[in-house]
Amino acid sequence: MVVDDSPFSLTLTTGALAGFGIRPTFTVGRGAEARRILQEKPVDLLLVDTDMPDIDGFELVRWLRRSGPNPNAFTPVIMTASHIRRGRVTEARDCGANFVVTKPFSAAMLLERILWVARDSRPFLEVGDYLGPDRRFRHDDYDGEERRADMIRKKTMEFA
Amino acid sequence: MTVITHVQRKSRLAEMVDRPGGVSVGVALAQAKANLDGLKDQALAIISENIGALLAHPTPDIPEALRLDSAYAASSQVIDAASPFALDDLCTAAKGLCDLLDAAPRQGGFDWRIATVHAQAMKLLLSLTPDAPGTAEARIAIMANLSEVLKRKLPTAPQSPV
Repeated sequence: MVVDDSPFSLTLTTGALAGFGIRPTFTVGRGAEARRILQEKPVDLLLVDTDMPDIDGFELVRWLRRSGPNPNAFTPVIMTASHIRRGRVTEARDCGANFVVTKPFSAAMLLERILWVARDSRPFLEVGDYLGPDRRFRHDDYDGEERRADMIRKKTMEFA
Repeated sequence: MTVITHVQRKSRLAEMVDRPGGVSVGVALAQAKANLDGLKDQALAIISENIGALLAHPTPDIPEALRLDSAYAASSQVIDAASPFALDDLCTAAKGLCDLLDAAPRQGGFDWRIATVHAQAMKLLLSLTPDAPGTAEARIAIMANLSEVLKRKLPTAPQSPV
């Protein structure tokens, strides 16, 4: 499902997804409509814009994460933002999305993020007001074969 | 504080990604690029339209908060439309303007000449021919000037890399 109040952004995102072989079942311009569908239909991936007039992306994702026993409560979520207002940075961190991507981003980066959230196996934590993927990341080196595409690419570029 | 841990099951997205078949990453990206290239003219028209809105004279007696929100929306739309087409300087300029408008006092007092300078810079960036001689230097100079404006007017804000 792709949710964006800008029709052109919706076209751009669905165009890139179509290239990847992903055909969104729902392309929605309003947060309220997205919420209605998310209550009724299974959704495999939610790509949602942060800034929307009625229910914005943060509110939609916060609602989704707390909408259990709705199976979509654990659906991978990528939020896209052209700009995040300073007063809303905390909301971006706390809404429960798997990833927040700020523009500009290329089709390659979008694909990378989709693959990343597909493999995101972090447990969901419920702590105070927060419900979403564990936000703590390990910063020490992984002791094993590197299989993450972005890390392999980074290392290849370092050696080039 | 109580922490409840919900162990995640493998998502349907992960199952789909792991299913055999489909297209290679190279093919997927080439197809996506072809689809997006077909939208570039429309994107450039939207960018020009929003730069035009930023340069237009405001409606008389428009409340400051509304004027700020309209300019913020126009600048955001420039970022939205420019995002997939590697127009990074344009996005940086529009982001800088969004930062400034976001930090502006809602009751009035924003120096609107800054918005005009940003919009004119965006117009110029859009008009520069990529491979023409002097283009790279002109881009660097424009971005350095905008970065300077941002540093002066918003010293505490995280600066977008130029």
